[in-house]
Amino acid sequence: LTPEAPDALGAGAILAGAASGAWLLQRAWRKRAAYPHATVVAGWSLFAAVTFASAWALGSARGTFTALTLIPVAALAIVAGGRQRRSVRAGRGRTNASLAPEPLERASTWWRTTLRWLLAGPIGMVAAMAMGICYAVWVPGEPQTRLLIGGLLVPVLWGGAMAWTLADNRILRATAVLVGTAVIGFAASILKGFA
Amino acid sequence: MNAQGSAPARKLGKRKGARIPADFVRAVLKGHSLLGLAFAAAIYLVCLTGTVAVFAHELQRWENPSIPPMASASPEAVQTALTQAAGRAGPGLEHVYITLPRADIPWLLVTTDAQGQARSWAADGAGRIVESATASWTEFLTALHINLHLPRSWGIFLVGLTGVALLSSLISGLFAHPRIFRDAFHLRIGGSRRLQEADLHNRIGVWALPFHVLVSLTGALLGLTTIIVGVLGLAMFQGDVERVYALFTPPHPADDPRPAPVLDLRPMFAQVEAANPGGRVEYVFLEHPTEMGGAALFNVDDGSNRLTRLDALAFDREGRLYHASPARENNLGEKILGALGLLHFGWFGGGIVKIAYGLLGLGLTYLAAGGVFIWLARRRDKDRPAPGLERLWTAVVWGQPLALAASAATVILVGGAGVRDLPAALPLAIWGGTTLIALAAAAATDPARLSALGRGATGALLIVAGAAHAALAGERILDPTAWVVSGWLVAIGLLLIATLVKRRNRPMRA
Repeated sequence: LTPEAPDALGAGAILAGAASGAWLLQRAWRKRAAYPHATVVAGWSLFAAVTFASAWALGSARGTFTALTLIPVAALAIVAGGRQRRSVRAGRGRTNASLAPEPLERASTWWRTTLRWLLAGPIGMVAAMAMGICYAVWVPGEPQTRLLIGGLLVPVLWGGAMAWTLADNRILRATAVLVGTAVIGFAASILKGFA
Repeated sequence: MNAQGSAPARKLGKRKGARIPADFVRAVLKGHSLLGLAFAAAIYLVCLTGTVAVFAHELQRWENPSIPPMASASPEAVQTALTQAAGRAGPGLEHVYITLPRADIPWLLVTTDAQGQARSWAADGAGRIVESATASWTEFLTALHINLHLPRSWGIFLVGLTGVALLSSLISGLFAHPRIFRDAFHLRIGGSRRLQEADLHNRIGVWALPFHVLVSLTGALLGLTTIIVGVLGLAMFQGDVERVYALFTPPHPADDPRPAPVLDLRPMFAQVEAANPGGRVEYVFLEHPTEMGGAALFNVDDGSNRLTRLDALAFDREGRLYHASPARENNLGEKILGALGLLHFGWFGGGIVKIAYGLLGLGLTYLAAGGVFIWLARRRDKDRPAPGLERLWTAVVWGQPLALAASAATVILVGGAGVRDLPAALPLAIWGGTTLIALAAAAATDPARLSALGRGATGALLIVAGAAHAALAGERILDPTAWVVSGWLVAIGLLLIATLVKRRNRPMRA
């Protein structure tokens, strides 16, 4: 393995280890393993071992992210290899028997729909920014680190707010929480100031 | 778009020990569907172009097959290239960006920014400018991914918002899928279309989750940086955003606009070599190189295996080092900032990681496309089909690869595979025109035929692009990567056409 990148051998080792881990998990899932719990532990342990080995050989960050990229590829190959072929007629007329529940049907009004999207969009963004900036202002550490972690928090919190407000039936509760978060977050940030 | 394909989650709320109430799952599914539908086209386009953009360096080399690849460039060669490029750029030279040969772009490349116009040239081993290094299609593609060819700030923000929507879909997708680990190997192909799509959607969504989170989070942050910094500046620095950026960038040199000869980089190279004996200069950024206040910032690969390993050294015109920031002393924030682009595009682990990013990127693109197909199939199952939307979505899904392939083939054919510089608007116009044609075709063509036409035409155009490149560039090809890219294009084209042949004996579907 070079410091630049995994060569074919190194990548092959990562892929082989990851595929072995996924194969063990698949055996346990299919109930074909003699010791299912031990097989599951062995499968996840292989994933962990591959990640540590990659980090050791390629550098802690580079190796970890290389493993996190190659493990899914290997696992998906195992999943694809174990696919179950069904006839064209299979499932016709009885699809609902093996499908998940239907999404919730809820009555809505134009103002609730508008408010819901405002919460998922601009209000959620402002609330997430308030929290991100609040983190950058209040948490100790190097200014660059606080800003970057605060910055990373913004899309995570905004995405969470989006998922929540589009799902929650109690739209006024979501409004109160997000508006309150934005006001408190910005007020607390301005109160202290960035140093 | 939803968690279908798992066992009935309705039972979850009733089963002893179940932790996720059925109504909660259904409510999250509702939000997941709403979000997926609202952003489907944007997520699909950004994911598709992002997947291709992973290979932007290879495509750039494919578009410039006669630029000689080289392993390194001497300081003398860099100085010669800079002097020649500055002469060609003319007056008003503001900035110069010099990229030195490295593994993925083995060129000595000089880009000048004079009077608001950017021009790129490639130089040979002696530093002589050999040709313009314009890559019209690659630049079109990356701009489509980064800002959708909209006004820059708005476009970048919209792409950032798309990243947030994708991240949000991942979050709601997890909560909407209570059997995420139990069903992790369930993949049923054939039979019910809805079940097949749901299985594919959920398996790809689960197993490639680390990749999906990584690219959506980094993409969202890259897209939202301007607005985050703007709000931070407004709230904390009386609107002065420069104070935020100054935390991450070297100080600017003192402004002195008196004219001067082109900066002499050679003494600076000598200092860099002395300070970093094992280092390799990767990039030099020059500010006002023909003014007395000129300065040069060197980015030097320190040779370690760190993800962010570029030392930054800035010199003034007299060669005085006025800023030094070694990579080994970077704090966590600086490391994250340096890694964002690398992690987003998969440019940190060589060709194998790039191929893995390409495959996983295709999977993510499929998630965006398949989610809407599941929603449409569910409507059909409930006797509420939406044939118009089915046609429209099929036209979007297959119209985009077609539009990208059409623009690539046109650039190669009209530009003679790197012989003529083309207006930047050409690939954009072809892409836009093809997109409109595909959408118009949805009005009168059923989804199965649209899908077949899209696959067939995309495949044919990819083959044309690859074959035309080989035929037109032929003996001019000095970079073997050009052959590899053409080969891949032809292979992918053949694969797409093969799907038509294979499906001749099966009922057609979108």
